[in-house]
Amino acid sequence: MNVRLTRRSALGLFGLSTLAACAPSTSAPTPAGTEGLKDDGVKEFPLTSWSYNEAVTKQPMTDAIAKYTAANAGVKITTPSYPYNDYLNQLLLQVQGGQLAGAVQLDVAWLATLAATGKLVDLKSVATGLDYAPAALALGQSGGAQYGLPWTFAGIGLISNQELLTKAGVTSTPKTVAEFEAALTAVKGLGGGIVPWAGMTKVDQLKDIIPWMWEFGSPIVQDGKIVIGDDGSVEALTWYKKLYDQKLIAPDVNRVDARALMSQGKTAFYEDAIGGKATVTKSSPDKDLGTKMVPVARPVKNAGDKPRHLAWGQVIAVMNGSGAAAAANFAKTVTTEQGYTIDWFTKTGLPPTTNAGLADSAVKNDKFATDFTAQIGANSSASPFWIYPQFSQMEKVLAEEVQSILIGKKSPKDALSSARDRMNALIK
Amino acid sequence: MTVQELARPTPTPTEPPAPVRKPRRPRTLGAAAVVAIIGVFAFGPVYWVLVTALTPTHDVFRFPPHFIPDRITFEHFGSIFESPRLLKYLLNSMIVSLITAVLTVIVSAYTGYSFAKFRYRGRRSLMYLVLASQMFPQALLLITLYLVFSQVGLLNSYLALILSFTTFTLPLCVWMLKGFFDTIPDELIEAAKVDGAGQGAIIHRILLPVSLPGLVATGLFAFIRGWNDFIFALTLAGPDKQTLPPGLVNTYLGEFETAWPELMAASLVVSLPVVIGFTVLQRYLVAGLTSGAVKG
Repeated sequence: MNVRLTRRSALGLFGLSTLAACAPSTSAPTPAGTEGLKDDGVKEFPLTSWSYNEAVTKQPMTDAIAKYTAANAGVKITTPSYPYNDYLNQLLLQVQGGQLAGAVQLDVAWLATLAATGKLVDLKSVATGLDYAPAALALGQSGGAQYGLPWTFAGIGLISNQELLTKAGVTSTPKTVAEFEAALTAVKGLGGGIVPWAGMTKVDQLKDIIPWMWEFGSPIVQDGKIVIGDDGSVEALTWYKKLYDQKLIAPDVNRVDARALMSQGKTAFYEDAIGGKATVTKSSPDKDLGTKMVPVARPVKNAGDKPRHLAWGQVIAVMNGSGAAAAANFAKTVTTEQGYTIDWFTKTGLPPTTNAGLADSAVKNDKFATDFTAQIGANSSASPFWIYPQFSQMEKVLAEEVQSILIGKKSPKDALSSARDRMNALIK
Repeated sequence: MTVQELARPTPTPTEPPAPVRKPRRPRTLGAAAVVAIIGVFAFGPVYWVLVTALTPTHDVFRFPPHFIPDRITFEHFGSIFESPRLLKYLLNSMIVSLITAVLTVIVSAYTGYSFAKFRYRGRRSLMYLVLASQMFPQALLLITLYLVFSQVGLLNSYLALILSFTTFTLPLCVWMLKGFFDTIPDELIEAAKVDGAGQGAIIHRILLPVSLPGLVATGLFAFIRGWNDFIFALTLAGPDKQTLPPGLVNTYLGEFETAWPELMAASLVVSLPVVIGFTVLQRYLVAGLTSGAVKG
């Protein structure tokens, strides 16, 4: 058969072959297992993290590694690190390239995504019998397997500036949504450019609306289907939009802006994880701001309801392959042994995940940490989207639709129904 | 003739003509306003970087912001030199960007010469193919490149960065130099041939020397591409070979905190070598970029 290869067809062939090269592999992920935990004698492994870069955590992490290697002859730990915002993409690329090994620091939100690659070791045999708080341990699970050992665990919740609230005449902590609204209105009366609540209004952090939807009665995900657009979520967004219109929350605010507002004494409430306090106080001209910052439980719709918060935490996972057993031993040691967990807490402010650690005097004597754990951490739940490897795209869809409500482009009902359909299409 | 014209005194032939006053002020003011606006856009961010670098940490987020800081500090500049990693990133950036620039100039000079001065079958298709490779989304190519480099053991090396930067820089540079060579008259080449010069002598002893502005402009373009890249350097280089953009992000941007004043101070310091280099070479850059624009 004669085929005449013209320039145009050659160009087309080149384009097709390039696209084919870019297509993802269709092979199924290898099932997870514990076979990776058989000791292969390899004592050298990497600990991939973002904390090794960061000012607050770099030295404590260096200390922990030095302590561990001194106590375990022959162990050598390398410390590749990537910026937090690019971390997950970098990990996924490395998994695809077969480059990721050893222990890996993970945000609890990313666990299911990484577990879906089939390269994580099930650490159930390691975690069994250890002193982890059950809620913390649960955050390291995905699909019935224990893919991560919890390193720190709390939630994302409201933090108030008590000085501003007192100035505004708010003498008791608002417990219901109505009381919260009244407190915000009182703070607005102070004037002076104060934003009563630095709630998230920028698209990159609008996922913070999830616990408010819970408070208003939406399960968000039910029987494997997204049910956003139900009465609870619509009511939550209608309320949020009302606060926005009344200027009780400000436009164009994300976590960084909210921390800046809190650090300058310009907002009475903002939402953050426990680790955010150090950043806020460091950049504040008010040396006593730390004592004025008080974690408060999320106001509920009806008195007596249970406050709900989005969980926040970090786990250490272990990659299947060379050095997995040594990496798992390291993960177990730094997350459970008091010498490591309390040192980590005192240097970083990040609470431990073991019952003994939480009961330690160093934690008990830290009022902010104790309050945060009691008011927020104790009532935290994982985002219903984290079980899906597509959680990042789902949160983006939700944020886009919530933004369209805030700017008045869509009604809460229309926007949330659209979000539901788009998210269901993603997980179909 | 109007009354006003009649009333205007007629100059005598012996008198020099009165200078005609043009309404210059409005035009000057307008031009100044335009220049001022452009200046604000061009230098405003640089000024803000400088102000942030000099402002004490506690004042950086002050509301309302102060465009002229009340107090200044140099402590953020001091912190740069406490971190040996930054000097390492700077060195990596220099190595990768310089080699990328040199490699790009060499390859694109020969390719551009071929496209500009030879006529052969498939030349036009090849030219468009080179340009088409610029159209692929780079993030898509990153995944493919990562897997390929992983297979051949090139990850975490300078070579991985140099190859990828050169790959992305070449298409535009080839076209830039082709445009430049197009402006060189064929008669020059014919004259050299008559004098007995071979192709090697023509390109090396005649064409390249007269193309110096174009080569410098191309080299600078490739250098900037290598110097500014973030995502490829972050992904392909590994911790030891990381260049400045991912290095700065790694050092100063965290989960909870962004050290803005230190980041701004570091950005200013590490941009100095490039600013100096550009200042020295800018006449070549302007000449090189404009000479290929008009064929003649």
